[in-house]
Amino acid sequence: MARIELRDVAKRYGSVEVLRNINLEIQDGEFIVLVGPSGCGKSTLLRMVAGLEPISSGDFLIDGECMNDVRPRDRDIAMVFQSYALYPHMDVARNMGFSMEIRKAPVAERISKVAQAAETLGLTKLTDRLPKALSGGQRQRVAMGRAIIRDPRAFLFDEPLSNLDAALRVEMRLEIARLHQKLGATMIYVTHDQVEALTLADRIVVLNAGDIQQVGSPLELYERPANKFVAQFIGSPTMNVVPVLGTETGVNVGNGVEIRMLDQPLTAQAKELGVRPEHIDVLDNGAGDLSAVADVVEHLGSDTNIYVNAEGIGPMMVRKHGNIPVKSGDRLGLRIQAQNAHLFASDGTALRRAC
Amino acid sequence: MEGKTVISRIQKTVRPGETRARRSLYLQYMVEPFFYLSPAILLIGAVIMVPLIIGISYSFQSIELLKPFASGWIGFENYVDLWRDRKFWIAMENTLFWTFWSITFQFLLGLGLAMLLNTQFFGKKLFQALVFLPWAVPTFLSALTWAWLFNPVIGPLPHWLAALGILSEPYNILGDPKLAMWGPITANIWFGVPFFAITLLAALQSIPDELYEAAEVDGATPWQTFTKITLPFLAPMIAITVMLRTIWIANFADLIYVMTGGGPANSTQILSTYIFTTAFRKLDFGYASTIAVALLLILLIYAVILLWLRKKLVKI
Repeated sequence: MARIELRDVAKRYGSVEVLRNINLEIQDGEFIVLVGPSGCGKSTLLRMVAGLEPISSGDFLIDGECMNDVRPRDRDIAMVFQSYALYPHMDVARNMGFSMEIRKAPVAERISKVAQAAETLGLTKLTDRLPKALSGGQRQRVAMGRAIIRDPRAFLFDEPLSNLDAALRVEMRLEIARLHQKLGATMIYVTHDQVEALTLADRIVVLNAGDIQQVGSPLELYERPANKFVAQFIGSPTMNVVPVLGTETGVNVGNGVEIRMLDQPLTAQAKELGVRPEHIDVLDNGAGDLSAVADVVEHLGSDTNIYVNAEGIGPMMVRKHGNIPVKSGDRLGLRIQAQNAHLFASDGTALRRAC
Repeated sequence: MEGKTVISRIQKTVRPGETRARRSLYLQYMVEPFFYLSPAILLIGAVIMVPLIIGISYSFQSIELLKPFASGWIGFENYVDLWRDRKFWIAMENTLFWTFWSITFQFLLGLGLAMLLNTQFFGKKLFQALVFLPWAVPTFLSALTWAWLFNPVIGPLPHWLAALGILSEPYNILGDPKLAMWGPITANIWFGVPFFAITLLAALQSIPDELYEAAEVDGATPWQTFTKITLPFLAPMIAITVMLRTIWIANFADLIYVMTGGGPANSTQILSTYIFTTAFRKLDFGYASTIAVALLLILLIYAVILLWLRKKLVKI
């Protein structure tokens, strides 16, 4: 169990700076998810915590102790790799007990711990198999078993589910969530899948191009994104962002329609309006703020996705719960829920609502 | 009804005058494949099997160019002579000594070199090219060069060895029956290290980096990583290369023949040089074939043991 702190951490390869100004405090037992598009530096950050990449500048602390130059094997951190990195010449039991084997722990203790971990992960019948005789999900479990057997100070997961098929991914996601509840250990999890991030995390760290964009609970990121990047990255389907002209009382969208936003300050600075597909009401033609033509309609049963062409704005997406009777080519009226809309300044930062 | 359908089926598939019998399973599955394989079988037979059989048949004959009228089949007489031949047993002992020390040093140095080359350092490309250079030098030339290096009149080695206290005075070890074998062995080590370095480097580069990272996170020291990750991964390659090189070195007469010619007093005579001198100096082809068959058997037994060990130990 550990508190992990990153202070002004940066990573440079030669003159290329891949991470900068990373300040993060992770509480004991917290589940932190690092999320961002590929190439944003999230895996590099995780590897720096593991000790596999040197830290170029800044401080990395575990329980208040500076760990910058401590070797990986002395950090007491377990890591689950994307490719699982199982030792192909060792059977499942030896793979899981490897960390105890090299620490020369008593054999009886090792055997009982391996058995216990195998039991937890449902691998009891497979302990004498080699990794090549296991399915993807089983390999994933062995990799997790290898981590939990050590009872480490923190667990690191590097996109552990990205090599699994969709159904197995959901199952393993639940298993990781259960594992976290059971062990109560500090966990850092890297993914590019926002669903994993939203479902697993206590707090999410959104990274883009080497910078932390926002740190917060899943709902916080969804409801109060700090900027346009986070707003568009979190939430599925993606938020609609349309250019607007800010006024004292609201914003003017394309065709001169004003959306009143009295509860939002600084509307005069607004350059863009962001509204999630689920925060647009569909009305009869002629009603609401905007008129639009339904372009493509997807009926998913539980939801209806409507891709519309809004007059004076262009393509937008609307999502409504349930099955609503709209056909392609229908003329609709749309109303943007002003209380759920977001305003962005010219540099992309969100104009905070007074609350 | 039953009879009619059978007849109609036969009438459909068999034209008048053709046989109604089914093609024999025996012909279809046992013989037919060999017809398709026959060109390859004939080629292999002509190129490999025929010379091998003729060579083995020589060992049961008396074929001496100097005694043309005494040639003919003599049964196991050559083998009886071989069993009683003191020079054969000396050569056998020397072969084991020569092969064992050559392969041991070649392997260990080659492995070390491969591991060094598998790291990142300045000028790596140049070093790799240099390391593989001995491989490109003709054996005859390297044998001559090493013979000169060991010659105290023109070579520095005896003087260095004397200065280090290994030799009492700078003399030519190739002339000392007790030490002569180390001359060709040294040359052979120099010559054979690149082979191990190339093959083991290729094997090392195929080990995924994540395994090393996982082991490091798991808490392994560099030595534990080497013994528990690297070596098991290299094992299949080690088994194959050691086997190939052993056979190669045991048959490798050039270096010894050029450097010492088997002397002094047969102290560097190995089986392959003994075969060579018997065949082309004494012109006794029958007896030379007998020694060759003995060497072949020893190497066959060795290869079988090593392949069995490999199957037993290697899990990947």
